[in-house]
Amino acid sequence: MQGIRLLLFAAFSCFGVTNTFAKKDVTQAAVQPRQLSLVRVNVTGQGFDYFRPWQKRAPFSKRALGAVLSQGRVLVTADLVANQNYVELERAESGEKTAASVEVVDYEANLALLQPQDKKFLEGLPPLELTNDTVVGDRLAALQLEQTGALVVTDGLVTAIQVLRYPAEVGQFLTYRLSIALQFRDNSYTVPLVKNNKLAGLLLRYDPRSQLMDVIPAPIITHFLKDAAKPNYPGFPSIGFSYFPTRDPQLRKYSGESGNGGGVYVTGIEPGAAVQKAGLRVGDIVTAIGNSELDQNGNYIDPLYKKIDFTNLFTMRGYSGEKVPFKIHRQGQPMQLEVTLEHRSADDYIIPPYSRDEAPQYYILGGLIFQELTRQYLREWGTNWLKDAPQRFVYLDRFQWELFPEGHRRIVILSQVLPVNGTIGYDDVGYLTVTKINGKEVHSLEDLAAAVQQPVDGFVKVETVEDPKQVELDANQAERDGPRLQENFGIPVLQRLK
Amino acid sequence: MVRRVIFACWLILCAGGEVLAQQNTPPLPPGEGMPPASSSATPAPPEPVGPPLKPSAAPAPPAPIVIAAPKQPNGKIEKSVVAGPRIMTNAHVVSNTRYLTVERDGDPNKYPARVLFVAHDCDLALITVDSPDFYKNMVPLTFGGIPELESVVSAYGYPIGGERMSVTTGIVSRIDFQLYTHSSIDQHLAVQISAQINPGNSGGPVMQNAKVVGVAFQGYSGDVAQGVAYMIPTPVIQRFLTDIKDGHYDKYVDLGLTYSKLQNPAQRRYLGLQDDGHGVIVNTVIEAGSAGRVLKQGDVLLSIDDHPIGSDAFVELEGGRAEFQEIVERKFKGDKVKLDLLRDKKPMTVSIELNTVWPYLTQGHYYDMRPRYIVFGGLLFQPLCLDLMEAYQMTDPRVRHFFDFFVQEQIYLEHPDVIVLTNILPDPTNTYLTPYRASIVDEVNGKKIGTLRDLAEAFAETPDRFVIKMVGEGPPLVLERSQVEGARERIRSRYNVIQEQNLDEQPIAQPAQASAGGPSS
Repeated sequence: MQGIRLLLFAAFSCFGVTNTFAKKDVTQAAVQPRQLSLVRVNVTGQGFDYFRPWQKRAPFSKRALGAVLSQGRVLVTADLVANQNYVELERAESGEKTAASVEVVDYEANLALLQPQDKKFLEGLPPLELTNDTVVGDRLAALQLEQTGALVVTDGLVTAIQVLRYPAEVGQFLTYRLSIALQFRDNSYTVPLVKNNKLAGLLLRYDPRSQLMDVIPAPIITHFLKDAAKPNYPGFPSIGFSYFPTRDPQLRKYSGESGNGGGVYVTGIEPGAAVQKAGLRVGDIVTAIGNSELDQNGNYIDPLYKKIDFTNLFTMRGYSGEKVPFKIHRQGQPMQLEVTLEHRSADDYIIPPYSRDEAPQYYILGGLIFQELTRQYLREWGTNWLKDAPQRFVYLDRFQWELFPEGHRRIVILSQVLPVNGTIGYDDVGYLTVTKINGKEVHSLEDLAAAVQQPVDGFVKVETVEDPKQVELDANQAERDGPRLQENFGIPVLQRLK
Repeated sequence: MVRRVIFACWLILCAGGEVLAQQNTPPLPPGEGMPPASSSATPAPPEPVGPPLKPSAAPAPPAPIVIAAPKQPNGKIEKSVVAGPRIMTNAHVVSNTRYLTVERDGDPNKYPARVLFVAHDCDLALITVDSPDFYKNMVPLTFGGIPELESVVSAYGYPIGGERMSVTTGIVSRIDFQLYTHSSIDQHLAVQISAQINPGNSGGPVMQNAKVVGVAFQGYSGDVAQGVAYMIPTPVIQRFLTDIKDGHYDKYVDLGLTYSKLQNPAQRRYLGLQDDGHGVIVNTVIEAGSAGRVLKQGDVLLSIDDHPIGSDAFVELEGGRAEFQEIVERKFKGDKVKLDLLRDKKPMTVSIELNTVWPYLTQGHYYDMRPRYIVFGGLLFQPLCLDLMEAYQMTDPRVRHFFDFFVQEQIYLEHPDVIVLTNILPDPTNTYLTPYRASIVDEVNGKKIGTLRDLAEAFAETPDRFVIKMVGEGPPLVLERSQVEGARERIRSRYNVIQEQNLDEQPIAQPAQASAGGPSS
């Protein structure tokens, strides 16, 4: 059942649907079944427990398919290999297995490249080519395997192509939406989609009730592969600003816009983003990016997809390091800026939007557990974390750029208190935002680790935004309580810093 | 459906003013071993301490009381009526009433009644019937004190299950502080009884030895807990009756601070305290509260009106232990309270004049108030309060933050009214303004907007356009005056907007009261 459940996780949201319906011969079969270049991928791994940051969760195992590409590479989704301990490739027809390593992974685009340890393992499997020209109305075939290794083919129709959020919730990426009645097989995790025996995409998510599938499209895969060929994987360019449509004539007039031109109103800029370096300001109206004019809703005319959200210019069409001219209006005056596209890594956020493969950091002092606020931590409250997690933290996450325009910091939280001699009377303490330790401002766990080393008159004083505002520990007692904590709660080490 | 039911509807006693005044039952002797409870010190999340069921207890909708008909409960003490007869019932029985009648046992008539006083914070109300016929052969009930644990009490009322009066009996199970569900933020002393109380019991007297020892008011519905019913004990009743003596209900007063217990030895040493089990530390002082500008974060409160405060926040009081805020609970607007404290390890004594901490009120339910609003250009602006959060099921994280931290983060200093664009009456002027829904007004044409009245004044001016800056990022909302004016009649007639704004902060006058002249005159 796990495979099916994993497919269910996303609810579809609908916006920016492109209405381009290219006339195609819809009766044309998407696939002529024959021996295709697929391997099974078996993954075991362990996630991290952010409520008990010193330990891992129970191990999981996933079975999936991988698409064999040129140069002995195997393409899978990044979700498949997140927090992996061991990845193994298996020939479907013979059951032969080999260990594999993750060469490149991009959790934002949800793609990863594997390489078998045994270089000859993929011999006899002709590499899949990619087909980047899928448009609305095309038919794609989803490929799965029976236990026997026989092919299971399901045919689906591309009903829309739009720009959507992927599971990491960072950036927006081109997505095909398919109407398809996918069957359950134990390899449902990464399902390749092909058109004319060429790879057209990988399954992103599937909703069995509506029988709608979102697909990571070949153009995004191509982009990923081009980046992966570079010595340092650069990642997809980040947009770095928030925007608002300029349809309201009263707002247009106020902003000095005449006529019925297009453009989006810049409402916020992430500190340190490429657009900030280029001089973009809040209140500017971005009218064109490169050669593409933006309409009042922020769509441009794409050569392949016609009207589509302009973020596609960053993720699908743009590459990090490229210089792109922005045409803007500032108080009605046309101006041009040159933006050097740049990827923003999760580490560059104040509250990192995701963290995989990396053990959470923490610092335990005399029973007080300090952590850095991350969205991964907030997700521990489940799919309803926006509602269920401590509201202060949700607010900090949502408005991080607005609240901390200086950027470059973390939020240190006192997440919980373990009962031990030194924490008597602190049972209600938890979910607090730390401002200072021993009078020193704390902007990271490293700051905290340094500050606790300097007790004042033998006390460590923790100051917090929320009540109780201050918590004190006896520095020596905290030291003495360490071993007992480790023993009582099974904590291997009392701190894990970068 | 976990819900604490307010057992709406009926009445309790009919009592003469003098009698009520004479009944000097001990103001508040909390019984032995009274469990901890924080009164209004922890206002924002109105979750009472205590049984695990309580936090999830939600207020039941007050029973239909458009025509509430409190009935005289029993014939036991029917004789004569003292001057100024009054009927006591629950605030939730008469809240938002438009017309009120009462009936008594054995009398076929319905008598129109009017509300004299309502105290939403302690769920009590006094009503009266102007017709002298109603009181014929009636003797007012008198009050007793707090009944002993395990002693037997009887609840009288007209609950579901029949037409005639019902009596149920049980014992006193617990004497404790409880959340008063009617306002949903107030905690006061309440007595738990095992007598069955059901919808319709509300406002009815709970008697012991022919004296009223409480007013039945809330409990849990059967799917949550069995046999858990609460009555408002006489100290709370007496406080209400004393408060209104001047013809006006002033509400409960509060220090307006949050505090923590001081049970950690290291923390005690850090603060320069002896290991004597005394003192609590002040966390947040609400600037608009009584202790604002007198107390500071980090102050250690050592005693209140010469009652030493334990490190668990309890004081010795009349042979029992009660939370130290209980000393404040008994006081009235304008009374003073003396606090001995330690600030930066130095002892000092302060005297604080007590008042109601108004920002708390937005966190509870409003009654008898017309919602305040402004409709302008088809945009509906409303100040944020609990009722608004619930009515719109607000999920916007900024709005939630402004509501949740309104008091504690002192957001009220900058935004006494947090004005939210809650709704849009569609019109060509506002076709593209939907994305602004749920945003909070910050400035209009460069002028800071603190209250709804500020906003009304800003909209009354005559600039070419109104540039409404919202809190946080995002473009301003721009309304051209010519457009707004052009749309005005259209919106008024299309949406039947009778009144474009209501800025009034006063409760609605009771209809009957206006003609008859209340006791305040």
